[in-house]
Amino acid sequence: MQIYLPIAEISVNIFLLLGLGLGVGFLSGMFGVGGGFLMTPLLFFIGIPPAVAVSTEANQIVASSASGALAHWRRRSLDIKMGLLLLLGGTAGSIAGVQLFAFLRSLGQIDLIISLSYVSFLGIVGGLMFIESLGALRRRGRDQTATQPVSKRRKRRLIDRLPFKTRFPSSGLYLSVIPPIIIGFFVGVLAAIMGVGGGFIMVPAMIYILRMPTSVVVGTSLFQILFVTALTTFLQATQNHTVDLVLALLLMVGGVIGAQLGARAGRKIKAEELRIALALMVLIVCAKLGWDLVATPNDLFAILPMREGGH
Amino acid sequence: MINLLAAAILLAQGQPDLEAPPDIAPRVVAALSQENVEIRSDFAGADIILFGAVTGLEDTDDLVIVVRGPQTDFRVMRKERTFGIWINRAPVRFADVPSYYSVASTRPLQDVGTFSSLRREGIGLEHLRLSAPDSERTEVRLGVEVTVSDVGNEIIEYREAISRNRRRDNLFAETASGVQMLEGGLFRATVALPPATPVGDYTADVYLFRDGRAVASGAVSLEVHKAGMERVIYEFAHQHGWLYGLVAVALALLFGWGAAAIFNRR
Repeated sequence: MQIYLPIAEISVNIFLLLGLGLGVGFLSGMFGVGGGFLMTPLLFFIGIPPAVAVSTEANQIVASSASGALAHWRRRSLDIKMGLLLLLGGTAGSIAGVQLFAFLRSLGQIDLIISLSYVSFLGIVGGLMFIESLGALRRRGRDQTATQPVSKRRKRRLIDRLPFKTRFPSSGLYLSVIPPIIIGFFVGVLAAIMGVGGGFIMVPAMIYILRMPTSVVVGTSLFQILFVTALTTFLQATQNHTVDLVLALLLMVGGVIGAQLGARAGRKIKAEELRIALALMVLIVCAKLGWDLVATPNDLFAILPMREGGH
Repeated sequence: MINLLAAAILLAQGQPDLEAPPDIAPRVVAALSQENVEIRSDFAGADIILFGAVTGLEDTDDLVIVVRGPQTDFRVMRKERTFGIWINRAPVRFADVPSYYSVASTRPLQDVGTFSSLRREGIGLEHLRLSAPDSERTEVRLGVEVTVSDVGNEIIEYREAISRNRRRDNLFAETASGVQMLEGGLFRATVALPPATPVGDYTADVYLFRDGRAVASGAVSLEVHKAGMERVIYEFAHQHGWLYGLVAVALALLFGWGAAAIFNRR
């Protein structure tokens, strides 16, 4: 059964969209990731215009992060102060990202930049995750009790020398406000350009750069993602008119059901195997997008719409 | 049923002319089975019947039907390999190109009309005018005005790319046997609108060709527009973008929290 999407202006099979939502939702529930980094490229592959795919995916992420953020809020397993600083940077980043998106679109290079961003980020994150979880699996096999010595004394780093220091009671940190704002900004730009929540960048950044305790990392990241994607949706709808409500609703329906099923399935699988599977999946999407960049295209010419109003 | 009735009425109107001497100028009248095409949520393309009658038709005459959609401007870019990656380069802007263009005829176009008559009316994918105003200038060479492109001969590749791209989406089409001649000067043809049909005003021109030249023509218009929920959503998104954005966010929040509440209760 075909359904015509009013903003994307194409006709797509309704079961394909529900299935995509269900599938990506399942994986995101199982691995505890947002799924934007998988859904947005898949939407490109089925022919949704990139601008519509990115904006609409931001809208879907609002729905998928809302329930998680609420759960963490109830348990107070998030650092509100850190979250607000990340959000401050994220807001600026989202505004800048939406402008950058419009500018790149006018140059006819938006598809290239989106693909390049995906290939580089997915390659780095997937590669690191793969190596790390493979190592963890090998350690577990060799010796169950072996733990790496953790030094209590932290080395003084560049990040500790920055001004405007403040206390973060929930995380137990005394840190400059600059790094969270910069990280938030960076993730906000990515959210607008790549149509992702940015959790896959933010969570490692919080752990390794800000050194936040793992207990509050996921909640804080969801808090930031919820507000930044909500803002991105609003800005894209106001400025570019590229949010497709019909597409978003269909993806949400499949997404929330899939996420619940995936979360149940995920409890039965061991963490290391799960991480390796996720890493492999990330690398496959990366390889497909990378191949499309270097392989000789079927048609060497591309037809691109003029910007509204022309120039 | 309505089609047949309308055709019968047209035929009746055309009747007096048939009895007139054959040297009287031929006339073409045409109508569509549907003058309004509505794009609703289940829109997956539409087939419209174009029918009509020709008065003063001779055995060797040919009919050509050209349907043109609303005009648009766009850029065509050629991909070039840079550091191993294919990058869009060398944009050329094309202006006032029909977003939909289909030609149906009784015989292959080259047998129907002369090169110059087809070119003049822009009939056929080969003769459709694709102008790139920014890269063109008009020069007088040997006393004849010719259009010269700054892009040089490559402009031909750009034009072929447009045609190829649009044909892939069935937005451009050429069918040599698309027009069926029935008895008594009646004719019919199917206009296939693909799922990607753009909204706007369309015109269908019916040309009567005799001895390689168009001797008569008739036109009908067609409107493609969004209807129902598709229209409501589209207009809401474009006229009240900020409110639409708020609704989108609110719906997503409701959805996320609602789903969590339902699943957690179990």
